[in-house]
Amino acid sequence: MASLQSRLDEFKKAFESGAPPYNAPHDAIETTHRATAALKASGLENIALKVGDRAPEFTLFNQDHVKVNSAELLRHGPMVVSFFRGHW
Amino acid sequence: MMELEALQEIDSEVRALGGRIVALTPERERYTRNVHKKLSLTFDILTDLHLKTAEQFRLVFALPDYLRDLYRSFGSTLDRFHDEPEYRLPMPARYVIDKEGIIRAADVNADYTIRPEPSEAVRLLRTLRA
Repeated sequence: MASLQSRLDEFKKAFESGAPPYNAPHDAIETTHRATAALKASGLENIALKVGDRAPEFTLFNQDHVKVNSAELLRHGPMVVSFFRGHW
Repeated sequence: MMELEALQEIDSEVRALGGRIVALTPERERYTRNVHKKLSLTFDILTDLHLKTAEQFRLVFALPDYLRDLYRSFGSTLDRFHDEPEYRLPMPARYVIDKEGIIRAADVNADYTIRPEPSEAVRLLRTLRA
């Protein structure tokens, strides 16, 4: 299986080519680049919690509307937590 | 989505090492339910409504107006997906947290097209177990 980064790179290349299936207009691509550069420049990356910090506890609903508590999960072992923007 | 698919590929290894994967998104359950089914995930997607947990990890940013307009033109109406009028998002991030609740790996990138390999998380879990 190809690495995640190579899959992302492939997608980015296809998207930024402006060709089908994405047909991304040139100015839309410029806009996303501008926004990424601005976010990078804001330094927010460096403010986020880091290695050595204590992770905040959370209780959230899963896809089946069941409550999941992080402390409960940690009782069994370590946890991989991924933050993603959404399905779109 | 690619992040979720890549995490799915390591889920059985993570479980074998005694760990659990959870993916957090500000999206409402009607969307997480669909994605979970579509990708046949065996780990949970949790709805971090109004980004309360992402805020605690200090990952939240507001989209600039020009990007908000662009996403709207693509039909990505985040106000509907998230049940809030503000177009805020978490920065893409992946954490490995040990049993004591301490962060052992943190990958945060403002550029959403750059992600660490999930195999790195597996490697770390092996070390934590040793």
